[in-house]
Amino acid sequence: MAFVEQLIANLLYGAILGAVYGLATMGLSLIFGVLRIVNVGHGAFIMIGAFTAYWMFTLYGISPVLSLPLAMAAGMIIGVAVYLVVVKRLVDAPELATLLAMFAIGIFIEEAAKQIWGANYVGYSWEIGSISLPFTEIPYTKLVAFISSILIAAAVYVWFRKTKLGKAVRAVVEDREGALTCGIDVNKIYALSFSLGIGLTVLSGVLVTLFTPVGINAYMGGEYTLKAFVIAVLGGLASPWGAFYAGFIFGLIENGSYTLLGLIPGVEPFGLTRFVSFVVLMLVLLLKPTGLLGGE
Amino acid sequence: MLTVRELESGYGEMQVLWGVNLDVREKSITTVLGPNGAGKSTTLKTIFGILKPWSGTVEYIGENVTNMPPHKKVELGITLVPEGRHLFPNMTVEDNLIMGAYLKRAEDRLEDSLDLVYTLFPRLKEREKQKAGTLSGGEQQMLAIARALMTSPNLILMDEPSQGLAPKLVKEVFETVLKLKEEGLTILLVEQNVFASLEISDYAYVLHEGKIAFGGSVDEVRESEEIKKAYLGV
Repeated sequence: MAFVEQLIANLLYGAILGAVYGLATMGLSLIFGVLRIVNVGHGAFIMIGAFTAYWMFTLYGISPVLSLPLAMAAGMIIGVAVYLVVVKRLVDAPELATLLAMFAIGIFIEEAAKQIWGANYVGYSWEIGSISLPFTEIPYTKLVAFISSILIAAAVYVWFRKTKLGKAVRAVVEDREGALTCGIDVNKIYALSFSLGIGLTVLSGVLVTLFTPVGINAYMGGEYTLKAFVIAVLGGLASPWGAFYAGFIFGLIENGSYTLLGLIPGVEPFGLTRFVSFVVLMLVLLLKPTGLLGGE
Repeated sequence: MLTVRELESGYGEMQVLWGVNLDVREKSITTVLGPNGAGKSTTLKTIFGILKPWSGTVEYIGENVTNMPPHKKVELGITLVPEGRHLFPNMTVEDNLIMGAYLKRAEDRLEDSLDLVYTLFPRLKEREKQKAGTLSGGEQQMLAIARALMTSPNLILMDEPSQGLAPKLVKEVFETVLKLKEEGLTILLVEQNVFASLEISDYAYVLHEGKIAFGGSVDEVRESEEIKKAYLGV
C-alpha cells in the first residue's frame, strides 16, 4: 500500500510540476511556431524570472504571485529589445545564424546576471502552509503554481482564439504569404510574438522558484532549456498548446518513473529519471515524429 | 491606374525580371501571358512587394509605391490572390474571410463584404464552419478570391487562378473574374491558360524571358500570328 500511495503522491506532484513545465515551454513553441527560430537561450530567460521573484520577495516582501505580471512585463520589454536589436535582422537568415545568435544572447544574459547578482545559489521561502491529503501533503505554494500555470495558459489560449491580434498571429503561423495579402504587418506580428514568447518564459521562471527554493543561480537555466526542448518536441514543436499538454505528460513521466526506479535495489532514481525522459522522447520521435499531439 | 516601368527583380543572385513595363487601366482586366519561367509570378510578387524590386518604379493612381511593404499596399486597395492560394488551412472558411478584413478600412465594411462574397460564392456560405484545408481545390480557389475581396480592394493581382482545376471549374473561375470587373474592380491577371484568359481580358501583355515582348488590346494580341507562334505555343 505504501508503494501505491507513494506512486499516487508522486504522480500528483508530477502533474503539478508538469503544468509549470508546460507553461515554461509555451514561449519556446510560440517563438518557433511564428518565427521558426529555436531559442537555445531559453533557460536564461527563465533565470531572469527566477531572480525577479527572488528579489521582489527578499527586498520588498512581494509574493511570487504578484511578481507574475511584473515578470511578464519585464520579459516582454526584454523580448522587444532582443527582437529589434538582434532577431529582426536575422528573420530571413539561415537557421544556423539565428541558432548562434540565440545561443550568444543566452550566454550574454547569464554572464551579465553573474556579474550583477554573483554566482552563488540563493533562494527564498514563502511559507503559506500546506493541504493535507490522506496519502501526502501538498504545500499551498505548489498549488498556487499549478493553478497559475493553468489560468495563464488558458488566458493565452483565449487570446489566440478570440482576439484579432491573436488570430493574426495564427494566420502568420499558418501561411505567411497569405497573411501578407490580408494586410497583416508580418514584422509587427513577429515582434509581438517574440516579445510574448519571452514574456511567458520569464513569467514561468517565477513559478519555477516555487519548486526549487534554494536553486536560483545565474546558470540555473540550462536544465530548463533541456527539458523545454524535450517537451516542445513531444508537443509537436510549433504548438504552444501541444507544449502545455506535453509538459503535463513530461511531469508525470519524470515523477512516475522516479517512484518506479526507486524500487530497483542499487539504483539511484534521480539520475535515471532524466534517462527515462529521453528514452520516451526517442520513442516518440521514432513512432510519431510530429509529436504526441502533432499533425495540426 | 497601375503603371510599371523598367521593373527589375529576382531571387537571391538570380535576376528574373529585366525591365518590365506595363499599364493597367481602371476597371479593366489585363492579362500577362507567357511560358513557364518567363517571370509572370515574379512580376506580380514584385508589384505587391513580397519581392523587393531591384530597380524600376511602380505607380498606383499617381503615387509611387515601388518600395511600399505589402500591408501598406493592401491599405491602399491593392491585394494579391497568390499562386497556390495560401489559405489558412486550420482556420474555418469564415475566419479566413474575417482575416481578409484585417485592416480598419476593410473591417468597417465587414458585413457588406461578407454579403458580397457569400452572394458570389454560395458554396462558401454552406461551408462557413468548415476548415479551409478540407475544401476541394475549386472551393479553395473561390475562398482565395473571396478572401482577397474582403480587403475591399480596387486592384486585384491574380496569380494563376485556374491552376490545377478541372475544365468546368476553370470556366467558373474566369466567369467570376469577369463578374468582379463588372462590380467595378480592376484586375491584373497572370495566366498560362491563354484562350480562356484572352476571352475575358481587355488588354494583354506577353512576357518573354523577363521582358514584355508585346502588349496591346486583346484583339491585337489575337490577330498577331507571330506572337502566338513565338510565345504562346498555340
